[in-house]
Amino acid sequence: MSVKIPTSIDQLPNSNPRFIGQEVNRVEDPSLLTGRTQFIDDLVLPGMLHCAILRSPHPHAKIVSIDTSEAEKLEGVLSVATGKDAKELTNPAPTAPEGWGAYCLAADKVRFVGEPVAAIAATSRYIAEDALELIEIEYENLDVIVDAHKAAQDGSPLIFEEHGSNVMMQRVFTWGEVDQAFADADHVVTEKYRWNRLGANPLETYGCISKWDLLENSLTLWASVQSQSHVALGRAVVLGLPSNKVRVISQPHGGSFGGKGGFRGPDIAAILSRKAGGRPVKWIEDRMEYLGGGAGQSWDRHYELSLALTNDGEVTGLRVKLLDDLGATAEAFGTVSAAKPLAAFVGCYAIPVAEYDLTMVVTNKLPGAPYRGMGPPPHNWALEQTMDVAARKLGLDPTEIRRKNFIQPSQFPYIIPSGNEYDSGEYEAALDGVLEMSQYKALREEQARARQEGRYLGIGVVNTIEPGVFDWNAYAIVGVQGTGVPEGVTIAIDIMGKITCKLGFSLEGQGQYTVVTQVLADYFNVEMADIEIVYQDTLSAPPHFGPGGSRLGVAITGASLGAAEMLVDKLCTVAAVLMQTERENIEFMDGFCRIKGMPDAKMHFAEVAGAILARSDLLPPGMDPSPQATFAWTAAGRTQADDQGRAKSYLTAANACHVVLVEVDIETGHTEILKYFIVDDCGTRLNPSNVEGMTQGGVAQGVGAALLEEYVYDEGGQLLTSTFMDYLMPSVYEVPMTEKKALVTPSPFTPLGAKGAGEGSMHTTPAAIMCAINDALSPLGIKAHEVPAAPNRIWSLIQQARAGESR
Amino acid sequence: MKPPSFEYADPKSLDDAVRLLEEHEFEAKILSGGQSLMPLLNMRLARPELLIDLAKIPDLDHVREEAGTLVVGGMARQRALELSPIVRERFPLVYDATMHIAHPQNRNQGTVGGSIAHADPAAELPALVMVTDAEIVATGPDGARTIAADEFFVTYLTTSMEGAEILTEVRIPALGPSTGHSLQELARRHGDFALAGAMATVTLAGGGTIESGRLVLFGVGATPIRARDAEQLLAGEKPSDALFEAVAAKAAAELDEPLSDVHASAEYRRSLAGVMAKRALAEATARAAV
Repeated sequence: MSVKIPTSIDQLPNSNPRFIGQEVNRVEDPSLLTGRTQFIDDLVLPGMLHCAILRSPHPHAKIVSIDTSEAEKLEGVLSVATGKDAKELTNPAPTAPEGWGAYCLAADKVRFVGEPVAAIAATSRYIAEDALELIEIEYENLDVIVDAHKAAQDGSPLIFEEHGSNVMMQRVFTWGEVDQAFADADHVVTEKYRWNRLGANPLETYGCISKWDLLENSLTLWASVQSQSHVALGRAVVLGLPSNKVRVISQPHGGSFGGKGGFRGPDIAAILSRKAGGRPVKWIEDRMEYLGGGAGQSWDRHYELSLALTNDGEVTGLRVKLLDDLGATAEAFGTVSAAKPLAAFVGCYAIPVAEYDLTMVVTNKLPGAPYRGMGPPPHNWALEQTMDVAARKLGLDPTEIRRKNFIQPSQFPYIIPSGNEYDSGEYEAALDGVLEMSQYKALREEQARARQEGRYLGIGVVNTIEPGVFDWNAYAIVGVQGTGVPEGVTIAIDIMGKITCKLGFSLEGQGQYTVVTQVLADYFNVEMADIEIVYQDTLSAPPHFGPGGSRLGVAITGASLGAAEMLVDKLCTVAAVLMQTERENIEFMDGFCRIKGMPDAKMHFAEVAGAILARSDLLPPGMDPSPQATFAWTAAGRTQADDQGRAKSYLTAANACHVVLVEVDIETGHTEILKYFIVDDCGTRLNPSNVEGMTQGGVAQGVGAALLEEYVYDEGGQLLTSTFMDYLMPSVYEVPMTEKKALVTPSPFTPLGAKGAGEGSMHTTPAAIMCAINDALSPLGIKAHEVPAAPNRIWSLIQQARAGESR
Repeated sequence: MKPPSFEYADPKSLDDAVRLLEEHEFEAKILSGGQSLMPLLNMRLARPELLIDLAKIPDLDHVREEAGTLVVGGMARQRALELSPIVRERFPLVYDATMHIAHPQNRNQGTVGGSIAHADPAAELPALVMVTDAEIVATGPDGARTIAADEFFVTYLTTSMEGAEILTEVRIPALGPSTGHSLQELARRHGDFALAGAMATVTLAGGGTIESGRLVLFGVGATPIRARDAEQLLAGEKPSDALFEAVAAKAAAELDEPLSDVHASAEYRRSLAGVMAKRALAEATARAAV
């Protein structure tokens, strides 16, 4: 059957929906708040061993020899693995473009400090770590390259000799008559920007247990993974197993934000399990491993942006030049982050033509991993700052240049030059809303008063698009094979009329089990407590992908509604037989299958389901006695990328407008956030408190990006920020509790009109804070175009400006 | 992040602890609050054969006032300072310094003696004992002796205590009459070690002039640094921004090359020290005048 999915709440078969759109209590919370949720490190299996990993102290070196004999003799050590085993038993990571991946244990040479070179499985983690100290490795150091510009030059030391270059990809995407636009422009503004490495830091690091069954030749992997089906497929490829011999069981996990890739751990633990006779091997990544060798480093970028402008501030062209430093390999989906900005390349603006000059290089640093937003946050950050530079040049207020260039409500659906389609939006309404909430005019007056007192206040006004509901189609252009992103559920009604929903992702923090429960409770007009969510592993669940790309809230709503529609159709078919009428006379409303036009002639769905299970004698011929349905949802209308990479990729375009007031202490360079306001529009809010949490959490990460977080490598390739003493996560003291308002422009394309909102303010906050800092410093003629805007950095800019003045 | 194996002892008396320390001087480490030692153990950067835990020794955690001096046992938790009405009412600079130490979770565990004996030059308590001219009591095989704060800190993470001595008490004099205090620091985040900080006390004489002042800079050298030469410029002067600026500039200029790291260059730290000193002197003076 073709399934029609409601695109608004009023299309639900419920005359009085009680849960969808409401701030209901989350069904996940009782077990989390009472400490009953079982995370990976809580899991103990019979005979389980513990893995510790020896990591390279060198950024670039040949492995001359490894001697593990003393380690093997230590009591309690059961197995030892090195690159030799990895080469014999596994394949390089398939998550990189062909030839730019690596084995899970360095085979012949190491390419970054922290790269795994050997591993131990022992009866305790203590013994395993003791044994690491007994492994002797002889290295022959190679020249090190950490600077992306130098890495791209001929004659640079090569990370992958076989490619003859460190440039993984160099390509110019041109969308329209860009040269002409710049030739015709009244003004061209060009600015450079530097976004330093930072990344996801979930409260729980990665962890897994690999169990290799020597008889079945199969792998069972318990892990704190984000996208389990994807991980299972990867393990099948790496370990050379049939895909139905890999079972991944995703434990509930303490956040991800992209940091739960665990790219090498499961494979290393699998080798160790295999060599230990099949005993399960647990590896819990510790925080230092995470920071220096995990999936926590992203977006090491050098930007140059140009805007073509008319005299009155209309932007007629955009050029973005990006040198993206992916670190030592592309094994952690590093290239995808550079492709995703195509989904919202021109932000909220009707810029007609654009160009993307993209160069990706490898260097002797940790491979770049996904992080919340997956690439657009630095792009937005550079674009929005350039809009402010242009405004300043033309004597316009930052709100005015934005207003002049917004895509208008009448223009949706709107195809941007880079090919993606925006579904809907009210950008000017969002701007007006936040200007009113923040009393923008009064803020400007406050700023002027402060400046007379010698204080430097700055205001940032920034609006961005959050591409939501991703599809893999866009990523073929950067060499990553798509695997599709279906999201499936199975809904079943039991003989007592209770509803079970089986799905393929575990708890991660966003509250999607609650969303499913809300949707189904309203659909069937029951209490939320009548719905039970059952997690299923990769060999049990319907086709699924899980969280990622701001898609799961929309996708799981679509899957739940689709399965409910299918199941209700079956119920109505049976109800017709039971009520001795034709199928087309039956409708479903408020939990009842009823005869149209006869409100009292009805059967409750539980009664019908019970009859299906219990009374096969009453079923229509050929119908299976199974009141359940499976439906997998995916975004409709996606297109293949054309020769310039243009595709309809992301289904939704949420947007937000932030206003922030900061004060920069020009004696110390320290920035303090004084006020913060947000209007955001992610269409229908399925659960407003979930959205609130996403928004505020994104602000926290945005504050970290703008002011605090940075992985610093020295010229010799050593990581200088290897603990939380030096890698600075924002805390409650640094993150303002923002004032927020919602604007609701439903998506015409999605289940219930919801848009992806999972990555949220991370798209906007770094830009908003940096625009505010630049606004504060503009009287001094300073442009601060590097994050984090650490006090040391801002102070240096102030000193330089003063030195310039005094000359 | 698991430590290599070590022996553990939890002596029940100070004598036993000192004896153990004497027997194992170079192989033993004292465990007090563990806020610095435990990470070092887990990272395998410290590898003692024996840990001597002071937690079971009685009468080492007092916080009391004796004749205008705050007397604090080495094992008193930092949180005990924070919660002590005596500290809050009579020793405002001690309270201020304590509230700048990390977070409540750290202060619950961290001890006063541990922080001072660890001698991190960016920590608040070492700077506090310097600016207040406090005394530190160290107990060793020959009994207890008193060390002036000025003579306690030798260099980075190094004190003048002997190998078999344990820090058992700190004596912090109250501020005198007509005296104001201030703590100014810049940290990247609330609760972090300061990139640079200053503590000052200023005592006013009659007629609105300054009788004397004390200034300590921290986070900018191998130990907290008492800026004695700069302090001298305050005596007998009328308070003014220009005066504070001059004193702070002298203090900053006389620093040895400060530490340079990913968060702050030496040049920046020196500049910051001056800014913090200036602000501390101004605030201390304003408080003295109230």
